[in-house]
Amino acid sequence: MTGMGEAIASPDCAIEELMTERSLKPANRPAVVVAMVLFTVAAVTYWDASRMTARATYGMGANAASYFICLFLVVLSVGHLFAAFQTSADKAEDADWKAIGWIAVALSGLIGSIWLGAGFVLGSALLFAFTARAFGRKSLVVDGVIGLVMGVIIFLVFNKLLSLALPQGPFERLL
Amino acid sequence: MRQFLKTALCLAVLAGTAVYPAVSAASDLELTITAPAGAGGGWDSAARSLQEAMMATGEAKSVQVVNVPGAGGTVGLAQFVGSAKGAADQLLVAGITLVGASISNNSPVDLTQVTPLARLTGDPLVVVVPKDSPIKSIDDLLATIKKDVATTIWVGGSAGGADHILAALITKSAGADPSKINYVAYSGGGEALAAMLGGQATAGVSGYGEWEGQIKSGDLRALAISYPEPIDGIEAKPLKAQGLDIELVNWRGIFAPPGVEGEDLETLQAAVDNTVKSQQWKDIVKARGWTDYYAPSDEFKGFIASETERVRAILTSIGLAQ
Amino acid sequence: MDAINLLIEGFSLAVQPANLIFAAIGVFIGTAVGVLPGIGPALTVALLLPVTFKLDPGGSIIMFAGIYYGGMYGGSTTAILLNTPGESAAVVTALEGNKMARSGRGGPALATAAIGSFVAALVATFALAFLAPPLVKVAVKFAPWDYFGLMLIAFVTVSATFGSSPLRGLTSLAFGLWLGLMGLDQLTGQARLTFGVAQLLDGVEVTTLAVGLFAIGEALHVASRHLYKPEKPIPVKGSIWMTREDWGRSWKAWLRGTVIGFPIGALPAGGAEIPTFLSYTMEKKLSRKPEEFGSGAIEGVAGPEAANNASAAGTLVPLLTLGLPTSATAAVMLAGFQQYNIQPGPLLFTQHADLVWGLVASLFIANVMLLVLNLPLVGLWVKLLRIPLPWLYGGILVFASMGTIAANPSVVELLLLSAFGVIGFLMRRYDYPVAPAVVGLILGPLADNALRRSLQMSLGDPMIFLQHPSSAIMIAVATIALIAPFVFKGLSRFQQDED
Repeated sequence: MTGMGEAIASPDCAIEELMTERSLKPANRPAVVVAMVLFTVAAVTYWDASRMTARATYGMGANAASYFICLFLVVLSVGHLFAAFQTSADKAEDADWKAIGWIAVALSGLIGSIWLGAGFVLGSALLFAFTARAFGRKSLVVDGVIGLVMGVIIFLVFNKLLSLALPQGPFERLL
Repeated sequence: MRQFLKTALCLAVLAGTAVYPAVSAASDLELTITAPAGAGGGWDSAARSLQEAMMATGEAKSVQVVNVPGAGGTVGLAQFVGSAKGAADQLLVAGITLVGASISNNSPVDLTQVTPLARLTGDPLVVVVPKDSPIKSIDDLLATIKKDVATTIWVGGSAGGADHILAALITKSAGADPSKINYVAYSGGGEALAAMLGGQATAGVSGYGEWEGQIKSGDLRALAISYPEPIDGIEAKPLKAQGLDIELVNWRGIFAPPGVEGEDLETLQAAVDNTVKSQQWKDIVKARGWTDYYAPSDEFKGFIASETERVRAILTSIGLAQ
Repeated sequence: MDAINLLIEGFSLAVQPANLIFAAIGVFIGTAVGVLPGIGPALTVALLLPVTFKLDPGGSIIMFAGIYYGGMYGGSTTAILLNTPGESAAVVTALEGNKMARSGRGGPALATAAIGSFVAALVATFALAFLAPPLVKVAVKFAPWDYFGLMLIAFVTVSATFGSSPLRGLTSLAFGLWLGLMGLDQLTGQARLTFGVAQLLDGVEVTTLAVGLFAIGEALHVASRHLYKPEKPIPVKGSIWMTREDWGRSWKAWLRGTVIGFPIGALPAGGAEIPTFLSYTMEKKLSRKPEEFGSGAIEGVAGPEAANNASAAGTLVPLLTLGLPTSATAAVMLAGFQQYNIQPGPLLFTQHADLVWGLVASLFIANVMLLVLNLPLVGLWVKLLRIPLPWLYGGILVFASMGTIAANPSVVELLLLSAFGVIGFLMRRYDYPVAPAVVGLILGPLADNALRRSLQMSLGDPMIFLQHPSSAIMIAVATIALIAPFVFKGLSRFQQDED
């Protein structure tokens, strides 16, 4: 467990790849990345606003708010750049990226299950079991069964009692 | 958590046993109705009313309602056209708003691609002014528009919806340029009502039912309704009876997927037609304050085609469609 | 006096044993479903409405009142215990409430929320009964320019949720505002930032953002630290009941929250979230221990919870007197009333006074029932924290995603939820506050629409905001609130220089 944690636990590994300016101190990197993200979002917003076709006959058009927020984002981006070079941010604590990975698997399990039409119950069983795995539980099968039972109860309550249809797969149609 | 769920389930069962009375099913149809809107809206209540009536009359053994909200119904329609093709157990509820939304959102699918089963209900829109407005009749309103179209402030539901379309039609027949209309869109008749009562608007458009209370209490003055004929219990006269060649009905109908034909189609048509002619359905329509606007499959099909063309022309004239 | 008689008559119906049981069932189911993250009161009421139809009219309306108040209340429980607000109006409750729960004071936090909700709903129901007709006359005069003024005030107060760094707080706010752009513009029908995805045309649901940032973001954050700093919230430290000091600090906050919540709830576009922000800011300003804010100040739970529930009763003012539903919940309620043959509108109070008073009596009963049921449950809820973490968070994620799917069964919605979860995790990791993002998403579109509606009505003349005294005053208040801190800082520096 710990061995794997160490292997992946370099806190800013994702950010390191994004970074090109090697001269910066590691502590400042998050602020620089946020500044870059904000600037990109501002650019996308500007591009989107500039190609709007509907015009308001009176008063302001729908793109006014877009331009305003675009400007706001640029100001914040500059603010982050300043902050990055002036103050040194606290060092982010270590993170267990493996646990994050398991939750990512859990969420993809649910999304995939709904996308491919395998239904809600299987999806929530996967979600429950892999999330429990992320928190260190080893017995995937037991957790899967718990998730399955929970999914069935939720499905029955919603579909039969509240007549609100949750996504159905082959399994749900048997219920 | 599980303990709590168990308790909740028990209680829900206790409370819920009354929801589904056993019905001696004469039919073995198992249907799913897609309401292309969230729970609680107009299409959702139409779908659930139809569900109730079909099960009470025994025209279907089981009916399930699925909500697919999004983009004025176009998300639900696209999903219906895409996934239910040829399925004889799938139905869709839709209405005039979806015709407009398909056009203004440039949606790749529209209602001409599904199989119309029946037009169900049609509610009139109403044109009102505040009670102390100098405008007393629809002719006064037309004169006001003609004098200055910019300062004639309209309020109503969402941009490109039925309310907006009616306001544009009236502006046009006053001899003004409909693209110059000053229409302030609200999320629905409710929010627009506050703007009417607050005296911030010249005139307003909404479903008659939404503003009925204020019209009867005298807080709003109804100038006209958009229904082609007079309706019992509604004092305001149709636009047509007042010399304007305008009619616009907020209709709702039921559809089968594309590619359903032959015997399958006949079974569905029969089930829907029998339900709509039943007393149970008539009672529901009355309780909900809807107006019956039934048309059978063939007539409905031609109607959809003509509505689509008409709505497209108006939306183009107000700049909401290319 | 006539009103009092009618009220007594209403009560005599409501206290019959069978009706009391209906009230209890309604409150219980309402709370139970409302507790689930992602299922707000609107969906709760919509789902449970059919359950009430088959009862006799008296019983059904009482059960319905119970479901409504239960659903409104339920959202705060998970906000406090699990940092997972069930609905957007409970986001502010999570700020202080969860900090309290983490230091073993979950009991008092839940208790002050329950009692505060009770007090607020009690006062607000009275106000509803006696003030509704005059109040609504004022409320409809609230024009777009006035809303814009109100939004500016709300924006200024958001800074109370920023935490240590204004730059990070503003960035979070900007993220929410940016999300608020997404979808079809209400005034012109123009699509903004939808990138051709049809599912984005309706914009981002506040619930999806709140549940993603809070519930999923929190789960990721806790999981990421699990290995290094295992988190073991202390279920209970000290009494699970409120101490004398807790009472002393809570009761004023309850009343202040009520006073803020009810009138804003009564505005046709007021909503339940804005009063919770305003109340939080006010309590922080007025508290004798402002330093406790951010680490579990009880006033920060008591005020916003009261404001939330008072605004729920306030929503009934335009609903009953105008037939005007001002929130999704109210729209579902309207459908419910029509089923019971109550036609809300200007004639209701004069023509069907008995129905109004019957409903008011039901709301009172439901409110009492809510308190009776929830105070004993506090102990049970706190035990939720004893569930082993893997199962607890597994359950949270299942319920959070279920709420999202139930409201809108689309993969796009689930992808958004997951993306917000990742963003929520990163924001927590790098110390960005998450609440301002939710605030931005709520306020942004409202302010945008109010501003542009005003300018459309004035044909583009910005003087419209200053020509109306009400909006001019609100804009002045917002400006002063924004500038005053800087001026005071400057003055004190000036004085220091003098010394």
